[in-house]
Amino acid sequence: MSESLTFLMGKYPAVLPADLRYARNHMWCRPREGALRFGFTSYAVRLMQDVYFLDWSVNAGDALQHKQQIGHIETSKAVSDLFAPLAGTLVRFNDEVLKDPSAVNVDTYGAGWLFEMAADESDTLSVQEYYNFLDANWEKTQTMLKGHM
Amino acid sequence: MSHHRVTIVLSQAQGKNPAKRALEESLVAALIMEPGLDVSVIPYLYDIDEEHTGRLFLESVQGDMVVLSWLFPRAAFWLLDRDGIKGHWGETQLKPAADENEDEDETTVEPEPAKGIGALHVADRHIYCLDLRDFNAPDPYLVEIRRIADECRTRQHAKAKPVLVDLNLNLNGQANGASSPAFTPEQLLQTPGRRWYPVIDYSRCTNCLECLDFCLFGVYGVDQFDRIVTENQDQCKKGCPACSRVCPEHAIMFPEYKTPAIAGAPVGAIGGLKIDLSKLFGGDVKDALAQAVDERDRELVADGRQAVGMAVGIPKRQADKPDQPKDDLDKLMDALDDLNL
Repeated sequence: MSESLTFLMGKYPAVLPADLRYARNHMWCRPREGALRFGFTSYAVRLMQDVYFLDWSVNAGDALQHKQQIGHIETSKAVSDLFAPLAGTLVRFNDEVLKDPSAVNVDTYGAGWLFEMAADESDTLSVQEYYNFLDANWEKTQTMLKGHM
Repeated sequence: MSHHRVTIVLSQAQGKNPAKRALEESLVAALIMEPGLDVSVIPYLYDIDEEHTGRLFLESVQGDMVVLSWLFPRAAFWLLDRDGIKGHWGETQLKPAADENEDEDETTVEPEPAKGIGALHVADRHIYCLDLRDFNAPDPYLVEIRRIADECRTRQHAKAKPVLVDLNLNLNGQANGASSPAFTPEQLLQTPGRRWYPVIDYSRCTNCLECLDFCLFGVYGVDQFDRIVTENQDQCKKGCPACSRVCPEHAIMFPEYKTPAIAGAPVGAIGGLKIDLSKLFGGDVKDALAQAVDERDRELVADGRQAVGMAVGIPKRQADKPDQPKDDLDKLMDALDDLNL
């Protein structure tokens, strides 16, 4: 198995495990039996910081379009709508994270998973592709963040 | 000490934000020491329904009231009005720090005269709504609450009718706990399920009924005076603010919605917000009507119905309506547009 990649956000190392797939909305994707499990990448978590509140506006069983709004998040540094990473069917949410979202921060790639979808994995990125995607956009992202904070 | 007591209601935030909890706790701790105030804590105001003890408690309060909540004051005031907890709008002097400079211009920035249809059956008391997001320390709130309490007493004295009933049944102004005796804190604070529904600001609403035409989920209706009401609040589709986008007077609020204008913000009061990463996480930005139509279609399809697009309930006036001026969030969105996600 190949090694994980580390994307440097300034001095902060965002670790990207090699055994995961990635979506452009900064979610990781772990294929499991019959479904894909999604969570925030350490890149996304670094931008948001401590998660305070997570809310979903769709239900298990719903058919989702790619980029459909599915929820909302509030963190110490940010608010954001959340969107479907792929087209597919929402299988289930991680109820534990809904009750106490701190797992997103402490175990980003494990217990901090968000939801599972039945969807086509082939539309996701490899770790190298996601790294390249972050690298290509980092300059613009920084400009945007600095302009706002 | 005056017999006139003022009820302070603190409505908690949803979720587990430690900074919010800390502010709530320090406010309650300070307020229960203040003479002449009755302090109660209820869950997130927007979520409590008519079955909840918190609602029964609110209904039981007869006199002047100060409501501290994590909502824009307009949203809090009009959602109470919808729930039958009515009073005159209590004007607060509490202004978020960013607005301070505007105070000097007050003579020139006269608020537009209200052209809305107004509320019905308004009770003879004042309800002051304070936004807990304005300051992160208790002191500004405590100063304002003392000012409000004085204002209420002065108003009562002017009426020259002594208040005979002490609603909280306090003896000799004894400091009591955080709730009215009829309701235990446990009952009051029972976590309600989350809700989603529109709140109408009748000081702005002209009863044009565009929302009634546009919404296809039966949320809106009219009362016996043919006035618009949110008849079936819980038929509203979670996350969908479409009717708010088509309202020509911006009278419809969704207090939970992330865009301040829709959540009930006063004009020009969106400073100090957290960064919005929605674009980075994959959102699209469209004009208000197109967005409203999309949102409605999505909910129709989710209900197993046909999408109707622009075919039903489209307000004609929207055609020549200019886009609203860009706010800070829009600027951020533009920056994020360049990311080409």
